[in-house]
Amino acid sequence: MPDQDTRGLQLRGITKKFGSFVANDAVDLDIRPGEIHCLLGENGAGKSTLMNVLYGLLQPDGGAIVVGGVEQHFANPRQAMAAGIGMVHQHFMLVEVFTVAENLILGREDGPVVDLRAARTKVDELSQRYNLPVDPDAVIEDLPVGVQQRVEILKALANDAEYLIFDEPTAVLTPQETDDLMAVMKKLRDDGKAIVFITHKLREVREIADRITVLRRGRIVGSAEPGTPENKLAELMVGRAVDLQITKPPAEVGDVRLRVEGLSVADPNGTVVVDDLDFEVRAGEILCVAGVQGNGQSELADALLGNNADVIAGAISLDGVDITHARPRETIAAGVGFVPEDRQHDGFIGSFTVAENLVLNRYRDRPFANGIALNLEAIAENATELVEQYDIRTESIQKLAGQLSGGNAQKLVLARELSRELALLVASQPTRGVDVGAIEFLHKRIVEERDTGAAVLIFSTELEEVEALADRVLVMYRGRSVGVVAPDTPREVLGLMMAGVPHDEAISGSSGSAGAEGERS
Amino acid sequence: MSTAERTAGRSAFAEYVSRHWRDWAITVAAFVLAMLIGAILMVVADPQVSANFAYLFTAPQLALGGAWAKVSSAYGALVVGAVGSPQALALTSSKAAPLICAGLGVGLAFRAGLFNIGAQGQAIWGALTAAYIGFTFELPYGLHLVLAVLGGMAAGAVWGGIVGWLKAKTGAHEVIVTIMMNYIASGMLAYLLTTAAFRRPGREDPISPEVHPTAALPSIFGQFHFGFILALAAAAGVWWLLERSTTGFSIRAVGANPNAASTAGMSVAATTTITMTCAGALAGLAGIQFALGPSANGAPVPLTLGLVGTVGFDAITVALLGRSRPVGIVLAGLLFGGLDAGGLAMQSVAQTPLTLTMVLQAVVVLFVAAPALVATILPFLKGRKLKPAAALTGGQA
Amino acid sequence: MKKSLTITAALGALALAFAGCATPPPAATSSASATSSATASDFKACMVSDLGGFDDKSFNQTSHDGLVKAGTELGVQTAQVQSKAEADYAQNIKSMVDGKCNIIITVGFLLGDATQAAAKQYPDVKFAIVDYAYDKPESNLKGLVFNTGEPSFMAGYAAASLSQTGKVGTFGGAKIPSVTAFMTGYAQGVAYYNKAKGKDVKVLGWDDTKKDGSFIPGQNPFQDVAGGKQVANNLVSQGADILLPVAGSAGEGALQVAQASGGKVGSMWVDTDGCVSQAKYCAVIPTSVGKAMDVAVFQAIKDAKEGTFNNTPYVGTLSNAGVFLAPFHDWDSKVTAETKSELDKIKADIVAGTIKIA
Repeated sequence: MPDQDTRGLQLRGITKKFGSFVANDAVDLDIRPGEIHCLLGENGAGKSTLMNVLYGLLQPDGGAIVVGGVEQHFANPRQAMAAGIGMVHQHFMLVEVFTVAENLILGREDGPVVDLRAARTKVDELSQRYNLPVDPDAVIEDLPVGVQQRVEILKALANDAEYLIFDEPTAVLTPQETDDLMAVMKKLRDDGKAIVFITHKLREVREIADRITVLRRGRIVGSAEPGTPENKLAELMVGRAVDLQITKPPAEVGDVRLRVEGLSVADPNGTVVVDDLDFEVRAGEILCVAGVQGNGQSELADALLGNNADVIAGAISLDGVDITHARPRETIAAGVGFVPEDRQHDGFIGSFTVAENLVLNRYRDRPFANGIALNLEAIAENATELVEQYDIRTESIQKLAGQLSGGNAQKLVLARELSRELALLVASQPTRGVDVGAIEFLHKRIVEERDTGAAVLIFSTELEEVEALADRVLVMYRGRSVGVVAPDTPREVLGLMMAGVPHDEAISGSSGSAGAEGERS
Repeated sequence: MSTAERTAGRSAFAEYVSRHWRDWAITVAAFVLAMLIGAILMVVADPQVSANFAYLFTAPQLALGGAWAKVSSAYGALVVGAVGSPQALALTSSKAAPLICAGLGVGLAFRAGLFNIGAQGQAIWGALTAAYIGFTFELPYGLHLVLAVLGGMAAGAVWGGIVGWLKAKTGAHEVIVTIMMNYIASGMLAYLLTTAAFRRPGREDPISPEVHPTAALPSIFGQFHFGFILALAAAAGVWWLLERSTTGFSIRAVGANPNAASTAGMSVAATTTITMTCAGALAGLAGIQFALGPSANGAPVPLTLGLVGTVGFDAITVALLGRSRPVGIVLAGLLFGGLDAGGLAMQSVAQTPLTLTMVLQAVVVLFVAAPALVATILPFLKGRKLKPAAALTGGQA
Repeated sequence: MKKSLTITAALGALALAFAGCATPPPAATSSASATSSATASDFKACMVSDLGGFDDKSFNQTSHDGLVKAGTELGVQTAQVQSKAEADYAQNIKSMVDGKCNIIITVGFLLGDATQAAAKQYPDVKFAIVDYAYDKPESNLKGLVFNTGEPSFMAGYAAASLSQTGKVGTFGGAKIPSVTAFMTGYAQGVAYYNKAKGKDVKVLGWDDTKKDGSFIPGQNPFQDVAGGKQVANNLVSQGADILLPVAGSAGEGALQVAQASGGKVGSMWVDTDGCVSQAKYCAVIPTSVGKAMDVAVFQAIKDAKEGTFNNTPYVGTLSNAGVFLAPFHDWDSKVTAETKSELDKIKADIVAGTIKIA
């Protein structure tokens, strides 16, 4: 029974429609101080819509918001903030060229004079109190993603927010940063704040949730106790039983397809970010490159595609053909499929339709083009087929790709890349920001691609994904290979290797006895 | 598969309507609002009419009647001068043709994410080359015109292509480069007009000989001439290029998201160069309209320093108003051409100052360029609240 | 915020209500458009400007003054069109023909081609063009030209006598005959002074042997005040202290330079008396080289109305007062009596033909 504590915040029967589409259908939610309330749901389940209603970004078509026993109507975020509601957005709402302190007072300038000193003091005070170390004078764009997020949290706290909404905060974080964030959230809870935590990562939910509410297709389909097993939660979310650990047949390894020898790549500043790297991927195997973000993975991926990469030494060959300095158009033609790390930025074009995006790298080829004329029928047919096959949830193939949810956009990118015959699939963070049901599907498709005889190279910062997909794991640290290990290597060992500790030392350094087999090929 | 095709077609149309009807409504509203403001300006600007507003309550028929007479005669002249007679329509078409061509040049570049401020210089080269071919050579009908038109377009294409090439090779920003190229083009024109090859014999001032009739754009009806047909054909060509060709696909992709385009194997550099070359050719075609199009007395106007006027800058407005879509640009060009033609009638018939029609155009553009402003003034056009980026891209709608 | 807006609006409305309560004069109530319709005749005189517009404080404006004068003194109807682009000239003339004008005056040599074509096409309409004369004009086309070299010669002489630095300057809007005529006369006036006084005052901006000099660059030089300022600054930095800008509105740039110099530099004006048309700069204007276009325009309209119009070009000279050197106004005290009497002599010599300007 929900108590009538007037300090809490209640959503009562919130309904929000977009045209004929019901995004939220009479949703009730009870948010209490000193609790972390997990809002769990697939992409497109209506979580963000609900929170945007609460934050005043959207106006509900029905229902009421009650804060501290008083019914409220928020016409804009300013009013929501005034009522003590703060939001940490998935895509940060920060001015990138401003400092931390400047961002903190943004929109709250009292009078014409900006009191930066007071802002700095406030940053220091809050960051000490909640253990959120941030330099008040650092410029946002220079900060790592995890620290930028801290600034977002500080901004909400500086507004004296009592109710904090975290919209998929871990989607952009490394495992370490995720652990840090969890600690911060616990601290905030213990301090009496009410926290709404939106996520679809079940491990995180199990770790910190005090209460769990599951949303599916705009409705609340149930709540769960914090101890509920992951597969049970996944079932609630998706509406059917889900395989969390895909069972993949053992790799049937063939000839070497991708060979990288002594590869060194420089970034635009001339710094060597991939340093004398050697590895190979055979037909029918998945090599996962594990490592903390920013250790040369992006540049390695770009070099393989030939996109804006400055290869200063070494060679890349695919099926014996040198592609070291090939341009994307040539590598794509040679059978390289590429799933970029940042799909919004590199993977698709938001203002293009779904159909157009599905031929983004093949629009010049038959049957999509006859000479220089596009064949719209073939493009539409291809789209209809792939939307069906990959379960891309969209009203129409003519809908703009920018309107797809994160998971569906990722399905679109994978559908495009996997729908042609590949010699090599390079996929960076293939399931980042994607919900459980879709992860299962995408993982299956990647394994299927392997089994057609393609070489598969996966870049991932998520150890679960590495474990699930890899046939071998290459750990990268500062542009170099720390070692190639088996996928069942204990997490602690992988973690140490990702910090640059060589394999042998990592085994003796970690408490668990390792089952690593070192070099295999 | 015919049902599926039909469904796809219908949904595409429905998508278009649902996506764009508000744009159209706002454009119309912007026009109406601008006319209203123009009316107020006319009343205020005329001391005799505005003085009568002192008697607004004591003798309202004086104030309102005077204002009404003023405004209605001006707008009446505007409408009659723009569309009121076959001659008016012909004049509108001849005014619109260069604006459409140059607008397409700017709009096409916009679609590739390039801000082509250089239509002016490209048009100057188009006019200069076409006129030169037109007054220098003695060639038969047909061939002469084709050569002059192709020459003018090629000159514009080179002038635009240089910008694209510089941007692709060196990363030089196209805005700065095109502005400088405009200066160079007008300087070259001024210089060439002092040379024997360009200056009319017996004249000391910078004016070229008259273009031979063999090179003139043939008149269909008065000033409704073949150049307008060329402009429409250019619009159709640009539409096809953008919407139906592989080149257009890459132009749009590079314009919308160069990173994704590059990742998908498109060459941003090549696309930039191709786009600027095409844009230059289109702006060159605008220059050709000035150099070879028949004027009111039937003959093309000889080349002078200011022959192309400010078409390159007006084209930016036209492209903006047309939202960089070929159909939109044709309509915007016709609107501006009509305002030009009607503005002349406002001057000559209703004796309204030229500056007022220019203010009218500026106000139309102001409102069209700032749809939020129109939507604020007319809240019923607002519809669904604009969602912030988080809601659009975060996905859980 | 919102409240204060409401209050402001209410106050505004109230003010308007009071203002709107005035009682109209009885005459005004009788006819809403009471112009000088009583004396208006059926004769209609019209004018087409070049790009400069009727507010250019220079030759379009002066010509227009003639049209306005004809409207009030002769009681003719008037109409005018201001050109927006060179490509529009023919169309603008045609619109005046369509407006049933009896005489159309075009302003500026740039309209030369278009005016001639129109005269051919519409033989029933009289045409006059300012600053352009045809070798073989149509019978209904009259050129109105001005021998501006004559007063410019006097201006050059005066400038040479006023210069402290021994250098005077001039620049043009474009290298066209109606502009270079001023510069030629000016330079020759300086040379005449040097010869008479045994001095060596230099002319910057015009080389009379090469017949070339300084002009404002760009596409619309006659409207480019900033460009005029730049060229004027160049001349001043080379030492010139008396300037003659021959560039329509853009000549204002030279006036700005003179005004900013703190009395070191003076800048003359052309076409009109600068102390009248550019009154705020009067203190820096030694004199102006006037072109009585208003008189010529008025006369052409009058002739056309009275049926005495012919196609013989009108040439304004010092002797028929079609061109003139304006009074010295604020500079009167700086010009010596000796110079003044010499100028009178020069004028007489020019009229008599003993001084020739080429």
